[in-house]
Amino acid sequence: MTTTTTHTPTPGALARIFAVVRLHFVNKGQIIVVPWLIMSFIFAVTLIIGWILRTSLSAKDLSEAGSGMQYSGAIGYFLVYMLVIAVMAISQTFPFAQSYSATRRDFYLGTIVAFAILSLVYSAAVTVLGWIEDFTNGWGLGVVLFSPGYLSPNLVERFYEAFVLFLFFFMMGIAVASVYVRWRVNGMLIFFASLALVILGLVALATVSSSWGAVGAWFVAMGFFGVVSWTLVPTALAAIVGFLLLRRATPRA
Amino acid sequence: MSAAIEVTGVTRRFGSLRAVDNVTFSVEEGTICGLLGRNGAGKTTLMQLLTGQDFVSAGSITVFGQSPVENAGVLQNVCFIKESQKYPEDFKVRHVLKSAPWFFPNWDADFAGQLVEDFRLPQGRKIKKLSRGQLSSVGVIVGLASRAPLTFFDEPYLGLDAVARQLFYDRLLADYALHPRTVVLSTHLIDEVSNLLEHVLVIHNGRIIIDDSAEGLRGSATTVVGTKAAVDGFTRSRTVLHRDNIGGISSATVGTLNSEDRKAAAAAGLELSAVSLQQLIIRKTGTTEEEIELSA
Repeated sequence: MTTTTTHTPTPGALARIFAVVRLHFVNKGQIIVVPWLIMSFIFAVTLIIGWILRTSLSAKDLSEAGSGMQYSGAIGYFLVYMLVIAVMAISQTFPFAQSYSATRRDFYLGTIVAFAILSLVYSAAVTVLGWIEDFTNGWGLGVVLFSPGYLSPNLVERFYEAFVLFLFFFMMGIAVASVYVRWRVNGMLIFFASLALVILGLVALATVSSSWGAVGAWFVAMGFFGVVSWTLVPTALAAIVGFLLLRRATPRA
Repeated sequence: MSAAIEVTGVTRRFGSLRAVDNVTFSVEEGTICGLLGRNGAGKTTLMQLLTGQDFVSAGSITVFGQSPVENAGVLQNVCFIKESQKYPEDFKVRHVLKSAPWFFPNWDADFAGQLVEDFRLPQGRKIKKLSRGQLSSVGVIVGLASRAPLTFFDEPYLGLDAVARQLFYDRLLADYALHPRTVVLSTHLIDEVSNLLEHVLVIHNGRIIIDDSAEGLRGSATTVVGTKAAVDGFTRSRTVLHRDNIGGISSATVGTLNSEDRKAAAAAGLELSAVSLQQLIIRKTGTTEEEIELSA
């Protein structure tokens, strides 16, 4: 007896990876609409605060308020949101993609491509909005949201900084969620305990060798641009570790 | 006939627990096979092993001649929506219908659309807001419309009412006739599917205890009912699977009877009745009927 249900030839690896990319983007509400709705609200609140300050403060106080705002940043909100998106992609979309018969390898590569695309789109958006903000002198109200003082004034460098930061947050989310998917709660406990010990060890090392001055000097010498570039190392490590963990992970109920 | 699934000496250990314990069987291509057993018997673990979602501790599995683990060529011909399937956060029914064709090359969108109407599934509703029955029907629709050469249905009727269950049987049989494929149906509602099945696998405590054609199983046991003395006389030289006594009346479940046996039984004034698949499995797995019903 032969089966008429056709065994179709395997689509190429690229087609399979592309299917996973589309799967991450199928629910646009979650990855685009909701974050921008919240951002619009934050933007509106910031503008209103800017307007209140402008109508009630003296020029001196206004300039102090302006310098205080240098560290507020829309980018921080987006970064945390994307970390959560990455965690959910691994903890929920991974088991779902397994039911769609995607291999772990195709899922992982598709996920990285999807997040690289999201990083590009969001970095471009933040850069363009920051440029408009600079150009209009804080939307005409002297407010700072998309162009915080720590980002490079050069637009190309700023785009690069944002892009690398988005990648870092995405990959951290992927790696930590992979620990969870692989080893569940026990894995989480051991992971965070180990992380605490490593950080404690580094702090102890810096203290005992009295090298805090050198550490501070390194950060100053690197600057924001340099430190952001250095995050590419943990980002790449997280990408490799996440893949190794997920390759033997099993979706559980 | 060739085998869609071949399992040889497969064990899956979780610590000291053997969820699947040295299992060997095969499933012929183009058949509907029942994978029956109580909750915790190892059904889902076994199906996860067959679909490359889990890894064997020992033994080997081939699906369409190759290992399914990380094998895109095999897996794209396989569809397995678990009863406890997780969906991405805030996914709606329409997101499932939209994305499924990207992964199942044989996907039939018209068929899927018709099934959505048949099961009255609200497309705009979030998966996590669906009732248990609606959630089951999502799995049923993906399983049917994907037309995967090897399709698993895992407890497809949890929460479905009688009408919806009948709908599932009708659609499955009709589509199976038009597009023959290999179907593995895991369930505890044994009698309801027994007419659908061509082959039966029963798993109990991780072991396959029955691996037989449904036809063979149906004739493999008979219940004889009569006076205690007559039943005693008839069963003296036979293996009794199960026995009940009520007052002076006894009923005993025995193995296959040939025509001689049947004549002898009739002569002794015994009544014969066929044993349903469900009762047979209960006898063999040593559980009560209530337990099977409750294990939903």
